[in-house]
Amino acid sequence: MIELKGVTRRFGDAVAVDNIDLTIETGEVCVLVGSSGCGKSTTLRMINRLLPRTSGEILVDGEDINNADPEALRLNMGYAIQSTGLFPHWTVARNIGVVPDLLKWPARKRDERVSELLTLLGLDPAADAIKYPHQLSGGQAQRVGVARALAGDPNILLMDEPFGALDAITRENLQQEMLRIQRQLNKTTVFVTHDIDEALKLATRIAVMDQGRIIQHDTPEAILRRPASAFVENLIGKGDRGLKLLGLRTVGDVMARHALPSQPEPLAEVLKETDSLRIALSIMVWQNSGELPVFSEAGEAVGTVTREQLLQGGA
Amino acid sequence: MPVSTKPPNRVIPVLALAAFACTWLLDLGVVQPNRIVSGTGYGLYAATGWFGAVVVSSLLAVVIVLATKLTPKRFGALILLLTTALMAQPLLLEVFALRKLPEDSAYARIGLGAGFWCLAFFLALMLLETLGRFKASRRLQFSVVLLVVVSWWFCASREGLSSLSLIREYANRADQFSQALTTHLSLSLGAVAISAVLAFGLALAMVRRERLRRPLLGLVSFMQTIPSLALFGLLIAPLGALSAAYPFLQTLGIRGIGWAPAMLALIAYSLLPMVRNTYVALMEVPEPVVDAGRGMGMNERQIFFKVKLPLALPVIIEGVRITTIQAIGLTAVAALIGAGGFGTFIFQGLGQAAMDLVLLGALPTVFLALAADAILSALKFQRAPR
Repeated sequence: MIELKGVTRRFGDAVAVDNIDLTIETGEVCVLVGSSGCGKSTTLRMINRLLPRTSGEILVDGEDINNADPEALRLNMGYAIQSTGLFPHWTVARNIGVVPDLLKWPARKRDERVSELLTLLGLDPAADAIKYPHQLSGGQAQRVGVARALAGDPNILLMDEPFGALDAITRENLQQEMLRIQRQLNKTTVFVTHDIDEALKLATRIAVMDQGRIIQHDTPEAILRRPASAFVENLIGKGDRGLKLLGLRTVGDVMARHALPSQPEPLAEVLKETDSLRIALSIMVWQNSGELPVFSEAGEAVGTVTREQLLQGGA
Repeated sequence: MPVSTKPPNRVIPVLALAAFACTWLLDLGVVQPNRIVSGTGYGLYAATGWFGAVVVSSLLAVVIVLATKLTPKRFGALILLLTTALMAQPLLLEVFALRKLPEDSAYARIGLGAGFWCLAFFLALMLLETLGRFKASRRLQFSVVLLVVVSWWFCASREGLSSLSLIREYANRADQFSQALTTHLSLSLGAVAISAVLAFGLALAMVRRERLRRPLLGLVSFMQTIPSLALFGLLIAPLGALSAAYPFLQTLGIRGIGWAPAMLALIAYSLLPMVRNTYVALMEVPEPVVDAGRGMGMNERQIFFKVKLPLALPVIIEGVRITTIQAIGLTAVAALIGAGGFGTFIFQGLGQAAMDLVLLGALPTVFLALAADAILSALKFQRAPR
């Protein structure tokens, strides 16, 4: 658990972070969202003491972080940034192994961890491990950046716009990976982004920031349904917030489940139970149908969903 | 190695034609009755007879034909041919000495003519071009250079070239030559080593304290603007006074002239490129990389030694390379204040109007600079991230 109590950070006369209170529960993904210069990165960098705070308290598991040695504190907090910051003179494997090395893990344990993480992030443990960062594509480099942040098995993950520089398709893929990894690992995560869709997709709770203050701190659904101010309303976009709401829930939550799953002939494009209601609606509109079969990840037909169920689920 | 066979090469034929014109128009060698008199020049045909003329001309013709042909193996064949030609070039002088040197005169000697230099120059240029086109590995390039150097060394030590004026000058001063080599190397490399340590410290200080940057860079740039001869001269008076005041300094060899002022001046000149490159290299390590290192829990020492220094090293080595070449050249000038080294031969030769003695000092200086360049370039290439 990370607690920020009345934290302020000034740069000279300018106030970057203005007396914020924020509690991030263990295992949840807290996304700090806001436009550039709103103080979200500054907040993140105060948590691992890359920036000293001007006043206030930051507690990790009840312990003030200023009481800990900064290096020891950071070794227990994975750190991934937008420009990846991979060491250009080291191979991918050595980059990922940097925190295990700093923690003085035995070489075998470290190597096992490196290939485990390469596999987890969808990279090739043999071929990609020996590459240098400049030989990677942007998406691969960012995967390595995330793997490196996870390498020391930290309790806390700090991510500063990690997917901000990627193209839309690669970003989408990496967000899916993030969700999958987070379901597996349950790390307490602080994630900074300016992209509200990314925030809605990844967050357990979102903290909307503006001019150094936290305007609203709540679940994605609550933020969509009850924006605290005109600023938040603007940020989430009035036009399609209903659709965004549909994007928060999965088909599995609302569908009528079959008593027994059956194994049909494989189809090219099917609706999965993990897909969002938004995707289901899109397919319905595209196919002009009122009811769709739903399939599991394994390809079994597990239920059906109707247009009415969709709309009720979103409402 | 894949070789592009697309367009016929134009550079090599032009160079070969230039070499052809030079060998036929200029003197290949000179016969001198003694070391001062300028002597009579001989062209390729006159010097080596029809045999030498045919060999050289047909070699160049074959090179032109090969370069314009589109056969895939042409660059490999050219490398072989040009390397052999360069290796065997001193044999032309042997033939020349055999044919034209008067046997009755003990002082008679043969000198190198413009044609010989031009032939060597153009052959080397063609070889460079071919190696580039061939995309030759560093190892192959190194082997080719080594072969040529060893071959020239071997030819020079043969009886047939003992009448070459350069070798006569060397034979007269073999002891002085090896002493000059030692002095030259220890002065220039010593200065580079000391200034490298100093520059590293200064650059670090500048990285730590931004306000030191302007005065320090100003100081080392200012030292660079003083003409070398003037700086050597300026140091004579204070060092002379110092050693007069503290006689124990004299026992260390520190006097107004000699190695001490030379060393000081060389260090002063070496500081600018070294400080500037080290400082720029350390400052240009990308900020996100340092930020990531710090964010992952590296302490400042680990960031410096594991991240900043390895990333800065290629540029720092580049600074050492520039400095070393510059110091080897400047050490030749330091002979004027009695520091020794190859400059001694150059200035003696100038004084005696004996050009071959000048060459005896100049050629090893050039060779040392080229060798330092090659070694440090290879080192930098090896350090750069692949």
